[in-house]
Amino acid sequence: MQLLDIKNLTIELRTEDGVIRAVDKVNLSLKEGEVHALVGESGSGKSLIAKAIVGVLNQRWTVTADRMHWRGVDLMRLSSEKRRKLVSQDIAMIYQEPSRSLDPTATIFDQVAESIPDSVLKGGFFGRRKARKEKVRALLHKAGIRDDKKICSSYPHELSEGMCQKIMIAMAIARSPKLLIADEPTTALESTARAQVFRLLKALNQLKNMSILMISHELEEISDWSHAMHVLYCGQMVEAGPTQAIFKQPLHPYTQALVKSLPDFGQGLGHKEAFYALKGTIPPLQHLPIGCRLGPRCPQAQKECVVTPRQSRSHGHSYACHFPLIKVKQKCNPS
Amino acid sequence: MQPVLKVQSLNKSYTSRQGLFRRRSLQVLRDVSFALAPGQTLAIIGETGSGKSTLAKVLAGADMADSGQILLNGQIVEDAGIRNHDCRTIRLIFQDPTRSLNPGLTIGDMLDDCLQYNTELTEEQRYKKIRITLSRVGLLGEHIDYYPHMFSGGQLQRVALARALILDPKVLVLDEALSSLDPSVRAQTVNLLLELQAATGLAYVLITHHLSLVRHMSDEILVLNRGKVVEYGETECVFNTPKSKTMQKLLSA
Repeated sequence: MQLLDIKNLTIELRTEDGVIRAVDKVNLSLKEGEVHALVGESGSGKSLIAKAIVGVLNQRWTVTADRMHWRGVDLMRLSSEKRRKLVSQDIAMIYQEPSRSLDPTATIFDQVAESIPDSVLKGGFFGRRKARKEKVRALLHKAGIRDDKKICSSYPHELSEGMCQKIMIAMAIARSPKLLIADEPTTALESTARAQVFRLLKALNQLKNMSILMISHELEEISDWSHAMHVLYCGQMVEAGPTQAIFKQPLHPYTQALVKSLPDFGQGLGHKEAFYALKGTIPPLQHLPIGCRLGPRCPQAQKECVVTPRQSRSHGHSYACHFPLIKVKQKCNPS
Repeated sequence: MQPVLKVQSLNKSYTSRQGLFRRRSLQVLRDVSFALAPGQTLAIIGETGSGKSTLAKVLAGADMADSGQILLNGQIVEDAGIRNHDCRTIRLIFQDPTRSLNPGLTIGDMLDDCLQYNTELTEEQRYKKIRITLSRVGLLGEHIDYYPHMFSGGQLQRVALARALILDPKVLVLDEALSSLDPSVRAQTVNLLLELQAATGLAYVLITHHLSLVRHMSDEILVLNRGKVVEYGETECVFNTPKSKTMQKLLSA
């Protein structure tokens, strides 16, 4: 069953020099129990999409979409109260920089306890209190925190970044959501803590059948356990499809550059040899090129690229490019 | 070949107060020694709190060691915590270029400060030197009048690199300088670093937790655990047959 189905999501910011289109017609669909990765460089609008789904973008941004269905209900047409109720029940989000998104003035116990809905607690007035305590402990244990007594009574600034991240995860799974949106959950962590967080998320996905939308700029760490991948460049969806297919045969020049810039996947790359990298830098949002936004940096850009390419689809693998790589190959050897 | 950088039994400990009279000392570096030949890259890896960043600071002169020597081209630069202040040829690049550059100075002023305080060049020579350095890292001469906020993240990393390179260092210490970058920007920066190394024989000390990058860039590797060197050898050897527990754990994670 289609859990989340988004068509032509556009997010705009009105400024003095005109409208900036930070996210341009993005399609995204997610089935139950799947792990999807949203990949792109900083400033490509990954976090904006996540926030638009949850509905926490502030008033300056205008969000429009042809369709934004959550299990068959169009989120765009709901009143904000109804939407909030629905979203808070089914979707949870882990934000970037955990130590900054926790409340610095409250203890961890209070913060985790706040995220537990009353409906899961049974018993009378005093029984509830005890049940809540138990539940907090269980949640912390589930998130891989062993020393719960000490953690419960401490404040966020006393804990390491990895610990804060685990607490954020514990708070996110308190309602046992259908979908967990993880916005760069591991950027602040070092390798062992990172592996722990991934193991935890993987276990949640497999045991609870929870869907996960992972946002990251590191391709390699999510490549082996995500089912599908969406690659964004400057707010345009350049390629989407099953992870394996994308790694095996990228169709868009940008995806190819991303895959090739990883030392692990650069086939036959010698020691200390130069990586394949696109020329130039990511344009700032105020100076986005028209048409295909990769245009000025693309090695095979042609005249047609000033028109925004349409999304083409084949075998669940969609891409937006006038000159996809596989066709180029066919032209070279007609056999 | 004579090593360009030689570090001999470096020790460093921090003391912290505990209660009114008691003091606790925490040793962060224990007997660290290594040598680095020109044109080579040494990678230092380890978990958090293993003393990687402290080692970087000590190498660059931002912090002092308790005992041990640092030798550059056979000459003592630091001996038991006393630094020879003529030495400005080990330079450090920080993790986040957006936060490590002064937002109130133009790029030209910032680079000029480096030269003014460390060299005897005249104003004209300094200007020339700045332009040459900027072009070496792939920036334009007109970037002299730009402020840091006018650059993108990848370009800022180049500015940070220019700031390090302007004193013609022999050794460059990269303290997690590549981990916060986006993949395509990182690929560009790595290419630039490798190009500079091939052209000028710069030696790098690379501190990172990105193992595939370590494998690609470094010639030798040093594994730290609680301030102690637990493994030191050629990169390929260590990756193929890790001997220490720390390295095995890092590789399996």
